[in-house]
Amino acid sequence: MGLLSFIAKRIGLYFVVLFIGLTITFMLPRLMPINPVDGYIGQLQSRANGTLTSEAIAEMRVTLEQLYGLNGNVFVQYVSYLKRIVFSFDFGPSFTYYPQPVSAMIMNALPWTLGLLLTSTVIAWTLGNLVGLVAGYFHKKKAASILEFVGILLYPIPYYILAVSMLLLLAYIFPIFPLSATFPVGQMTPEKFGMIIYNSLLPGITLVLAGFGWNILSMKALTVATTEEPYVVYARLKGASNWTRMTRYVFRNALLPQVTALALSLGMVFNGALLTEMIFSYPGLGLVMRTAANGGDYNVLYGAITISIISVATAGLVIDLLYPLLDPRIRHK
Amino acid sequence: MTRLGHFLVASAMGALMTTTAFAQGAMTDVGTPRSETLIVQTFDGRVANPSAQNPLNSYAIWRGFRELGWGYLWEMDTATGKSYPEMADGFPEVLNDEHTQFRIKIRPGIYWSDGVEFTTDDIIYSLDTAFKYREKLTNVASVTVFLKSYKKIDDYTFEVETAKPSYDLTTRLGVYTWGTPFNWVPKHVFEPLGDEVVSFQNAPAVTLGPYKIKEFDTNGFWQLWELRDDWQRSSWGNLGTPKPKFIYYKDFGTEETRALAFVQNQYDVDTFMSPDSIDAAKARNPAVQTFSATFPYHDMNDACSYGVYINQQRAPYDMPEVRWALALALNLQQVGISAMSGQFKAAAMPLPDTPITGPIFYDANLDQLKDLTLGDGYKPFNAEFSNELVAALASQGIDQSLLPTGDAVRSGFGSGWWKHDPAESEKLLASVGIKKGADGFYALPDGSPWVIEFVIPGDWNKVLQRLGFSIADSWRQAGFNVNARQVDNGEFTTVQNTNSRNELQMNWSNTCVYNANWLGNWNQFRTENILPADSTDPLSGNYARITNPEVLSLVSEGASLPLDDPKFVANGQAIAMAIVKDMEIINLMNIPTTIPTNNTYWTNFPKQDNFYAAPYSWWSSFKKTVVSVEPTGKQ
Repeated sequence: MGLLSFIAKRIGLYFVVLFIGLTITFMLPRLMPINPVDGYIGQLQSRANGTLTSEAIAEMRVTLEQLYGLNGNVFVQYVSYLKRIVFSFDFGPSFTYYPQPVSAMIMNALPWTLGLLLTSTVIAWTLGNLVGLVAGYFHKKKAASILEFVGILLYPIPYYILAVSMLLLLAYIFPIFPLSATFPVGQMTPEKFGMIIYNSLLPGITLVLAGFGWNILSMKALTVATTEEPYVVYARLKGASNWTRMTRYVFRNALLPQVTALALSLGMVFNGALLTEMIFSYPGLGLVMRTAANGGDYNVLYGAITISIISVATAGLVIDLLYPLLDPRIRHK
Repeated sequence: MTRLGHFLVASAMGALMTTTAFAQGAMTDVGTPRSETLIVQTFDGRVANPSAQNPLNSYAIWRGFRELGWGYLWEMDTATGKSYPEMADGFPEVLNDEHTQFRIKIRPGIYWSDGVEFTTDDIIYSLDTAFKYREKLTNVASVTVFLKSYKKIDDYTFEVETAKPSYDLTTRLGVYTWGTPFNWVPKHVFEPLGDEVVSFQNAPAVTLGPYKIKEFDTNGFWQLWELRDDWQRSSWGNLGTPKPKFIYYKDFGTEETRALAFVQNQYDVDTFMSPDSIDAAKARNPAVQTFSATFPYHDMNDACSYGVYINQQRAPYDMPEVRWALALALNLQQVGISAMSGQFKAAAMPLPDTPITGPIFYDANLDQLKDLTLGDGYKPFNAEFSNELVAALASQGIDQSLLPTGDAVRSGFGSGWWKHDPAESEKLLASVGIKKGADGFYALPDGSPWVIEFVIPGDWNKVLQRLGFSIADSWRQAGFNVNARQVDNGEFTTVQNTNSRNELQMNWSNTCVYNANWLGNWNQFRTENILPADSTDPLSGNYARITNPEVLSLVSEGASLPLDDPKFVANGQAIAMAIVKDMEIINLMNIPTTIPTNNTYWTNFPKQDNFYAAPYSWWSSFKKTVVSVEPTGKQ
């Protein structure tokens, strides 16, 4: 009964978080000092060298407000938005690229974002934690200080500087990777797949390096603290080997907060990595969101932010539900 | 294991293809011979939805659509500023005295890229669709408000009736400067779709130009065009022989990576690159060239000019003394040197000063500018501005051989600008009760603090961003308390369109005149585009907030005059002077467009001393470049 109540509470909380998130998502873009209709007309006017007549602009404004569904009061728009998302997961058409459905734009960009960021986040987390564990467990040894130094060195470098440096080093001075990758189109073949992997390596390595340092430092701190715990001291006095103490006593306990951090960072992956996309010419959701924010494209913003909210909330729920399995103390409570 | 082997081989192949292909100069990364491929940096960078190629909705123009894909009835010769027939067979025949009815013939023998002939059926279908779905298509209003009726006469002749007298039909249904707001669509592709035409993406588009889309990146980084076998029967197959077999538009990324790629000869034509990056690229690769070998280096022939737009409906900017005070307190020499390294061409009137507009507007008004006198007898114009700028640049160590001399000074740096005279500025402000307070900044006549809200673009327009901050600094030095607020382009448009949000703004949208036809842009200076000072309703034009009755009357009168009528031209000149007299727009300079090129694989790009067309790869005039460039023979 206790377990069922625990699960029911967590799931209830999950839906409350989603509802609040969706409501805030609806309101936020409308608070931006941008009018999507004017944004679109501004683009056309600029491209037409300012020759669109006032009559044409006025007619276009009426048409766009109608097509974008911006007529009627905000409450009616809000109810319609909730209905569309809850019942059909439909975000409507993009304003900037009307009538392209938002879902199609997101689905086109999302695999790229997930493929790169999910992989690099997991690799950075795994490597960082392993290195941090070793550095923390053997923190009195010189080698551990060197590992910690790597973390301290990498962590504070601003991502932009790190990315440009990597690009200069591995694409210009030693041209191992392309400066601006060209991703193949059409039917996927092993060659094309290889090309995609190859073109993703440089942004991937950079993302791993960028995420690596924090994981080393945080895991090292956790490990040092855990090593001093009475149960680890007891294990040592009992004669447990270094390997056993490090992996079974220290690592499992030090890992718990790191798992939470991983879950949260996996959720954030859906926001895309705009800088990565811009610097490495990599496809993804970041540019879609940036374009939408620039042009006041509410529907695209709703789509991208909603997916992000659902991801973070779901990751949180999964961790909440899995935690009892990882941590016997919670299971016991 | 076999799969792993395939994967590793494929990865290695990918690496080899991408890294060594450029180094060997053999093939591009899309598999075309480099020596036959002209590679161009995309103007719009990467696009979020490259499949949106239906011109009735999305106005697909970048990545080659405007210059290689769509066909126009009349095109613009950007070297002379004169229209010429492209798909039309001559100019329109005027059928009535009111100038509302026209007969237009099109050239027989033009074919779409899929082999179907272009006829008036396509034109009538395009217009029918625009009118039928005017409430569902997002890019047809320019034609639905312009035309009243139209009809087919035969396969190569049609007639139109405009809603109002029209003397600019060739630019309204054709090209004014860089493209047209309405494009023709292929009936045989669109008609079978029925009502679904409103949501049709049209990718890859069937086009009219001599190139067809070979491939495009669904992620929006690149698009590859291939010369049609039947290019001679395309919309501009009569212009000459297109030299590149392939034209490859690609976004090479941030300016940093673009500069590096340019050094590595990865592409041939760039768009806007900062002078610093160009200098760095030139230093590492002599094949990289600017538009001009001497100062100000860059192309200054854009159709628009940059200026400070003032919401003169709001106090205290409703007083000409205040506007003049701002102009005279602005040290353009200092601004231009600090923000643009001195690489700019000053333009005092509300339009650019180019080889086309210069003789029509600047030369004609130069004496009036010199004689212009403010209410207190002060003459504000400085005809020596360009010479003083050259002297200032020389004093800063610029090599004399890089600076223009003689007449080139004026053609390079402009006909003059306003004096920098903070003392006169202070005098003008004092005359309307504005004096400096204890904090050293000017205060409003009632003694309350005066903070100028000055909206400038963020890093989406780096030139204007730098200019904006530099101008704010110049004004602060003169005692104006300026809040320079940089905004994203979405908010920029909202500020531009909304009176209640607008005070001072860096802008260019109402200072675009390309030739004698000033009406295309200044036609927005109309009474119906004036809203109350505190209005939150959006404007549909007149973003410069021109309220001067003299200007409104001249525009209104000009709209009913033939474009070649001397009175029409005189009205344009008078509008420019009227705006200047009251300093309704502080116009600054022509838009500098750097457009560096790389001569490794292709030569004969448009340059200052080889000006056969505007050098912009994103204007429809790029077709002249395409038939004029020559391969160097480098493989």
